[in-house]
Amino acid sequence: MRVNPNYTPTILNDLWQQQTQEQTAIQELATGRRVNVPSDDPAAAAADVQNQALQSQVDQYLKNTNGLEGMLQTADSTLSSVVTALNQAISLGVQGSNGDLSTSNRQEIAQQVQSIQGQIVQFANASYQGSYMFAGTANQSAPFTLDSTQPSGVRYNGNTGVNNVEIAQGRSIQTNLPGSQIFQGAGGDVMASLQQLITALQSGTTTSIGAATTQLGTALNYVSQQRVFYGSAVSQLNANQTYLQQEQVSLQTQETGLVGADMATAATDLSRAQTAQNATLAALAQIIPQSLLNYLK
Amino acid sequence: MGSLSSSMWIAAQALEADQGALDTTSNNIANQNTPGYSRELALFTEAAPTIEGNINYGNGVVLQEIQSVRDQVLQLRIGEENQQQGSAQAQYGALQQVQNLFSSPTQGVGADFTAFFNSISQLSTDPTNLAARQGVLTAAQNLATDFHSTEQNLDSIQSGLNKTVQQNVTQINTLTQQIAQLNEKVGQMQKLGQDPGTLGDQEAQLVQQLSQLTNVNQIQTENGLTLTTGNGTPLVVGGQSFALQTTAGPSGMTDISAQGQDITSSLQGGQLGGNLQIRDTVIPGLLTQIDNLASQFTTSINAAQASGFDLNGKAGQPLFTDTSGPGAASNLKVAITDPSLIAASSDGTLGSNGNLANLLAVQTQALPSGANPLDTYSSLVSQTGNLTAQTQADVTASTASLNQLNSQLGAETGVNLNEETTNLMNYQRAFQAAARVVTTVDALTQSVLDMGSGVTGAP
Repeated sequence: MRVNPNYTPTILNDLWQQQTQEQTAIQELATGRRVNVPSDDPAAAAADVQNQALQSQVDQYLKNTNGLEGMLQTADSTLSSVVTALNQAISLGVQGSNGDLSTSNRQEIAQQVQSIQGQIVQFANASYQGSYMFAGTANQSAPFTLDSTQPSGVRYNGNTGVNNVEIAQGRSIQTNLPGSQIFQGAGGDVMASLQQLITALQSGTTTSIGAATTQLGTALNYVSQQRVFYGSAVSQLNANQTYLQQEQVSLQTQETGLVGADMATAATDLSRAQTAQNATLAALAQIIPQSLLNYLK
Repeated sequence: MGSLSSSMWIAAQALEADQGALDTTSNNIANQNTPGYSRELALFTEAAPTIEGNINYGNGVVLQEIQSVRDQVLQLRIGEENQQQGSAQAQYGALQQVQNLFSSPTQGVGADFTAFFNSISQLSTDPTNLAARQGVLTAAQNLATDFHSTEQNLDSIQSGLNKTVQQNVTQINTLTQQIAQLNEKVGQMQKLGQDPGTLGDQEAQLVQQLSQLTNVNQIQTENGLTLTTGNGTPLVVGGQSFALQTTAGPSGMTDISAQGQDITSSLQGGQLGGNLQIRDTVIPGLLTQIDNLASQFTTSINAAQASGFDLNGKAGQPLFTDTSGPGAASNLKVAITDPSLIAASSDGTLGSNGNLANLLAVQTQALPSGANPLDTYSSLVSQTGNLTAQTQADVTASTASLNQLNSQLGAETGVNLNEETTNLMNYQRAFQAAARVVTTVDALTQSVLDMGSGVTGAP
């Protein structure tokens, strides 16, 4: 059987392939990635696009969660101040219903309750980063103004709109309660009760003062119930944060599985390609001088 | 009857034949590294004998022919494989550039989609925040820019291929011209029953180069080779070559014609076929998908914008200028510069973020083409990846196969130095022996001449 005397193209091709393997291994080691261009693994490259999108989405959800948490906590602590102020107003009401007090004493108490009313209107007009928190979605102007023509002593300029924000894929959270629901709800109208107490203190009987105080107590309970919304939203956000952080880790793990290089394998591949290349070169060096001419003198 | 003069004559003929064989060996050794050279054989044959009565006198040796060792079938197989390799290499080269446009999972149109929707998500936490609104516009602008540059890059790869196609045609025309010149001489020699030898080698070598460029059909006729393209357009007939022409087509791409007929779409195989495949099928396919993605995405986003209200309480205006048809991706532009025009509100109140959910929904809803924007984009990534991987495998396979075939052909037709050295020694010995015969016969003749002259014995 004849053999091809010109074996150099074949050997050069082998060397070329070994060098390619070597370069692939070096690139894997250098970048830590097995898939550097789509053709390295088309399915994994496409899946990696999705994975990176999910990762950056999760980062955004985390930003949303952290941003909302600040606002919801502010709203919660504002309502906590409202509760404190209302408790003061109730104590004043109890004090005012004492029959031993003089009219001027009651007027004094009425003034104190009036100032509490002012405070509560201020709390109800609290804003976070330029937006009023208790105005529904009409949040670019103050929702409550004192208005003596109104039976409740205040006018509500907001609306009943609520916003929802996505905090994880397919999971949204309501981010506000309208001020009308918190402060003028059917289950307890803070504003009206306060105004009633003031009127009773100014010109009412001990009975009417007592009734108004009781009503204010009901309103206080109602506000406390509304406050639970913010408390539970904050704890929901905390839980969500933990969930998203876990999600981040699992997406990163997934990414490594998809496109990450197996360093041990890459290193082994590299040394194997180098060994093969050395062997080929050594063989080539051995073969080239061999010819019948060497033995003829 | 044998005679001294006939012995002398036989030896002289042997010297001549051995001389020819030594020439052949020398030529083989000289051309051992010449591409396409086929080793030559000196074919000896016995000279016609002289028959006298019962005795058959051999008349020595004749150098009948110097024959090149060829394998037509193997040559044809190598031609086919050259076409495949040429085509695969051309496609792989172009696709490597194409897939680089889709190779980064953190940059480009795919990442821009996500960044755009993230900016909307960010805005939903504070819908009146102007900085967040500006963030949406910036993300939209980045998306438009990357759509534009992706399409521009594909366009420039395509026009680069177009130049290569023109060069390929020029190379083909030069080769067919050279082949025709050789073919005429080869045909004449074949007609006379002569071995075309070196000319045949050169022609076969040029045909292989031509096969690297395009799909060539070879037909052996008594006038030499007839070469045609895959669909039968003649390239070389006898001593005549037919040049391919290039004309500017309506789309700005070069069309290829032969004798006035457009044969662009029928050209397959070889570098030309590979380049045409990417230029006329693969890249236009990708461009159409990108254009559709850009225009359908624009339509969906603008529809979502229109369903809401901006910070001025007015119905949302288009965020992107409507774009469709070829070049849609290049022409994608952000239509608004005022961040307050983003229609976040669902009811006209300033603080509402209700309509942002409609904009965000575009991220997960299927476009008319069947998949959501990111899935559509990632399908482009896997398409280009698959095509590139496939042509890469084709290059590897055809190269291995070509090496195998060349090695097979080389075993048959290559110059083996050991063999030539052995032959050299054989012919040398034969030459020396024939020369010795001459000396011996000469001495014998001298003896004959000296007969009766008183001189005895040979000198």
